Amino acid sequence: MSSPCGESQVVRRARPHLGTIVEITASGLEEPALVSAVGAAFSAVSKVQSLMSYHDPLSELSRLNQGGHSEPVRVSAWTFSVLRAAQKLAAESDGAFDVTIAPRLVSWGYLPRVPTLGRGELLATWRDVVLGPGRFVQFRRPLHIDLGGIAKGFAVDCAVEILRRRGVPTGLVNAGGDLRAFGPRDWPVQIRHPRDPGAAGHAFALRDAAVATSATYFSRKRWRKCWVCPLVDGATRLPCEDQLSVSVHAPTALLADALTKIVLARRESAAAILQRYKASALLLDREGHCRFVAANA
Amino acid sequence: MQPWLRFAIAPAMVCTATSAHAVVYLSVEQAQQAIFPGARMTAAPVKLTPQQRSAIQKTSGVNVRSNDIKAWKVEGGGWFIADEVVGKHEFISFAIGITSGGAVKSIEIMEYRETYGGEVRNAPWRAQFVGKTSQSKLKLDEDIKNISGATLSARHIADGVKRLLVTYELALR
Repeated sequence: MSSPCGESQVVRRARPHLGTIVEITASGLEEPALVSAVGAAFSAVSKVQSLMSYHDPLSELSRLNQGGHSEPVRVSAWTFSVLRAAQKLAAESDGAFDVTIAPRLVSWGYLPRVPTLGRGELLATWRDVVLGPGRFVQFRRPLHIDLGGIAKGFAVDCAVEILRRRGVPTGLVNAGGDLRAFGPRDWPVQIRHPRDPGAAGHAFALRDAAVATSATYFSRKRWRKCWVCPLVDGATRLPCEDQLSVSVHAPTALLADALTKIVLARRESAAAILQRYKASALLLDREGHCRFVAANA
Repeated sequence: MQPWLRFAIAPAMVCTATSAHAVVYLSVEQAQQAIFPGARMTAAPVKLTPQQRSAIQKTSGVNVRSNDIKAWKVEGGGWFIADEVVGKHEFISFAIGITSGGAVKSIEIMEYRETYGGEVRNAPWRAQFVGKTSQSKLKLDEDIKNISGATLSARHIADGVKRLLVTYELALR
């Protein structure tokens, strides 16, 4: 499919990655250059998955979870930068964001059971993870890290970085609802309605920024007579109870992804941390009513 | 700064009782070129025997919905298979490239359909999309819809890929 000279093309592709469908849209170059840039961006997403997957026993993260208690484990620059961002957010949110809640998710059946996981791991917190010089990571007690609440956003940022480096002027990367747009144009974005996920609860224009949404409408289930979901307040270790959808608008997808978990746990009290990161939040309740946090006009 | 300003197209979308979201990414021919660039391939459709069908089901642990395997043999080794998976709310057609060594080369989603309030398993509903290709050029403002929200799992695609790899082992190789 050749195009008249100078006409701007759009390439839009989707592949299964990160347990969801990752969609990459790129425009503003000739088609072959766009296709090759989109391919390279997918490779970056695939690399993040092979490093940080909790499900894959051969991932770098699994190697860390197996050995991090007995001796310091050296990790890649990408994994280290995600862990550093996660630890910073944990400190700033008083533990509402905590990458060591994996054992809780395992017991509820959201993550696979791993043979090395014992009962003691349930007591660990983010404070038991020590990041040392030379990208060495060590655990103060046996624990398991799950980067499910932040790595997807990081993968989106990596894909955007690759597209930009390849000279793509405008584009959008969407990893199952964690999305980031770049370039000089507005992108229409719809946020699912918490009660009717097929309909839009809110629609807005995204420009040169990221938005991520966390909600429980697809993942809520009963466990020993209680409702559980994979979104947990790291500080109280309790699941987010109500059918609320939280979207965060932030400069990067990593921040948007992680901050949704903090807003789910802290609601309006998350205003300060949102402002610190130049972010804001939109909360949608079951009836579709909007509430904004840190979104001053 | 108010980053959440409503987009002009919003109100009409909010009120619909039945909603559908559909994207065509690639036609079969485009997926072939995307997975095996420049390669020549010949159609090699396969009709599974009842024995093959049950063997595939047993080995993969995934239900086989159709006996017709839309396969192409790639010149110089490898296979291209076009397939589809249907979930409660979604219909996804995808293509898989398998190397001569039997490994997954690449997976491309060709079409994605999602519906609520309607019935995605319903054949006539799906039929309206058959034959649609991405030949029609995408226009950024009109055709591209982006959704942020909790995600449907990609488990159906993972199951579909598992089923096709077993199909390759038992019926194509």
